[in-house]
Amino acid sequence: MVTTRTAEEVSLAKRAFRPKITVFHCFNAADLAFENNGDCELKAVKMPCSSMTREVFLLRAFEAGADAVLVLACPEGACRHVSGNLRAARRVARVKKMLDEIGLGGGRLNIFNVTQGDDTAVEHILKETLAGLEALGTNPVS
Amino acid sequence: MIVGEQKPLEEIKAMVAPYDNFLILGCGTCVKTCFAGGEEEVATLASALRLAFGKDGKKTKISELTVERQCEGEFIRQAASLATQNQAVLSLACGAGVQMVASRFPKIPVLPGVNTTFIGILEQPGLFTEKCLGCGNCVLDVFSGICPISRCSKKLLNGPCGGSKNGKCEVNPETDCAWQLIIDRYQAFGETEKLYNYVPPKDWRTADAGGPRKLVREDLMV
Amino acid sequence: MTTRLEQILLSGQFAVTAECGPPRGANAEVIKKKGAALKGYTDAVNVTDNQTAIVRMSSVAACAHLLQMGIEPVMQMVTRDRNRIALQSDIMGAYSLGIRNILCLSGDHQTFGSQPDARNVYDIDSMHLLNTVKKMSDEGTDMSGYKLNVAPEMFIGAAENPFADPFEYRVIRLAKKIAAGARFIQTQCVYDLPRFKEWLKMAEERGLLEKVYILAGVTPMKSTRMAKYMANKVAGMSVPEAVIKRMAGVPEDRAAEEGIKICTETVAELRETKGVAGIHLMAIEWESVVPEIVEKSKLYPRPA
Repeated sequence: MVTTRTAEEVSLAKRAFRPKITVFHCFNAADLAFENNGDCELKAVKMPCSSMTREVFLLRAFEAGADAVLVLACPEGACRHVSGNLRAARRVARVKKMLDEIGLGGGRLNIFNVTQGDDTAVEHILKETLAGLEALGTNPVS
Repeated sequence: MIVGEQKPLEEIKAMVAPYDNFLILGCGTCVKTCFAGGEEEVATLASALRLAFGKDGKKTKISELTVERQCEGEFIRQAASLATQNQAVLSLACGAGVQMVASRFPKIPVLPGVNTTFIGILEQPGLFTEKCLGCGNCVLDVFSGICPISRCSKKLLNGPCGGSKNGKCEVNPETDCAWQLIIDRYQAFGETEKLYNYVPPKDWRTADAGGPRKLVREDLMV
Repeated sequence: MTTRLEQILLSGQFAVTAECGPPRGANAEVIKKKGAALKGYTDAVNVTDNQTAIVRMSSVAACAHLLQMGIEPVMQMVTRDRNRIALQSDIMGAYSLGIRNILCLSGDHQTFGSQPDARNVYDIDSMHLLNTVKKMSDEGTDMSGYKLNVAPEMFIGAAENPFADPFEYRVIRLAKKIAAGARFIQTQCVYDLPRFKEWLKMAEERGLLEKVYILAGVTPMKSTRMAKYMANKVAGMSVPEAVIKRMAGVPEDRAAEEGIKICTETVAELRETKGVAGIHLMAIEWESVVPEIVEKSKLYPRPA
């Protein structure tokens, strides 16, 4: 999905480690074929609704070695299950707090609202996540 | 239901830290309903603890099991083999469940992972409120169906006190004044004259003041 | 045997009592100093019982100090901290020391005080306490029915808040308190005279004013800040906007003076109000202002 790279992306690719990112995405929000590009190792989990992402799924993704976990939900007001995306946001907030308590850092987990087909937005989110991982480093548990 | 809340992760972690392996035992009744100690919470807590210990470089083996009810011996029996294979049991039941499990496994430390908060209801999603103190002598008939013993901050039987403002309690402006509710209900069904009645002091012997309570039903004994 | 406060009320003279808070410590001089300032200007001095749930010298002990100075105390007693055993025991002890007036209260909740981590008691409520003291006086027995060897005979008072909610129920509660044993009532601070008079009217309609002496609570404001605090932060308090404006309308160094003026005006109006048997001055940590208010209200000297 990424065809040309900016200078910034090239510099990201030169990082010491190749981050693992797990993305739980509502299949209405972003039905994307996530590809592993040079920058990171992506794992996409397609969900029938972002709200179906249980707390334990998020935590187990970290147990499996993810350096960052993302949840992609539909924009506010556009959830097919009325408020699934809002509930997902609250749950993510709760797990972020747990990650802080655990010592992994809540910054490794984030939720974004994405409109279906908006590849540019997804690319931007990934770029931001990779940039954030520069500071956070690898998952200390993996 | 008995409402409970999971203890902070840090506290739980410190509690189980001395053990290399332990069982997280959930309860599928009250604490499951209030999202504190059912199967889901057992899985989440186990994962969180694995991460927390993993981060410290400590290898910990965590077993997971949820039984129907920890306050009944019959259900605890299912946990026997797993419990005995582990150095400790972290129970996510209410205080009654924890003690029941402890009495069944006298040689294994049984630790509480949940704070038992109160007997209450699910008022709306995400909001649990206290409704009963288990005083052992129900007086809801005297108070229009609203319990001042559990819901008035001062347990006033002849309330309200001077701190009732706009239907709220002075102790916490988010809490309804139980006496306002009592009056409203009596007004709604036209029994306000009952408000003139002097309600005598309560006999607390049936409540916690009388020492540990016991209920005997001989017809059910075997 | 009647107390001085009771005699004044019985005789139809306008009574003056003042509140006196014991110190946060064991220094008897503090209470003696406060007592000396109030002596001669009041008919009785009302001693609080760990008010606002802040730990202080006990009401019983502070009352005993006042008695030694020839000041008649009204002992406040709250049901927050003691169960029925301790309450009855302290009533007997107080009586043995010469304390003859008692004000029965439920007490401020401990979460507002200096030990919010404390467990409260509330074994009985203020209504029950009234009834207990009445039973001691009328029947000579304790709550259990045991005949006491010398039963305390107290002049019994209760508090009522005409400004708390639900308003219509306030008079019902007053009626209950009178039935339970209250012979005098001390009210919450009066700033909102119209509402206070409405409450009195409701009490009169139910024939309650013939059965009880109403002591209207008055508190002089020291500053605009205090006026705003009373209006917004104190539950069950009604401070009209006009009062706050008046306080805010004068320079801060003259605010106390204005507060005293408002207070004396209120007292003057209360004196003219049917059903008001006296005033109870609650000059919170400002007891020294009481003589000035009493004199300016032409309530000095007090009856012998």
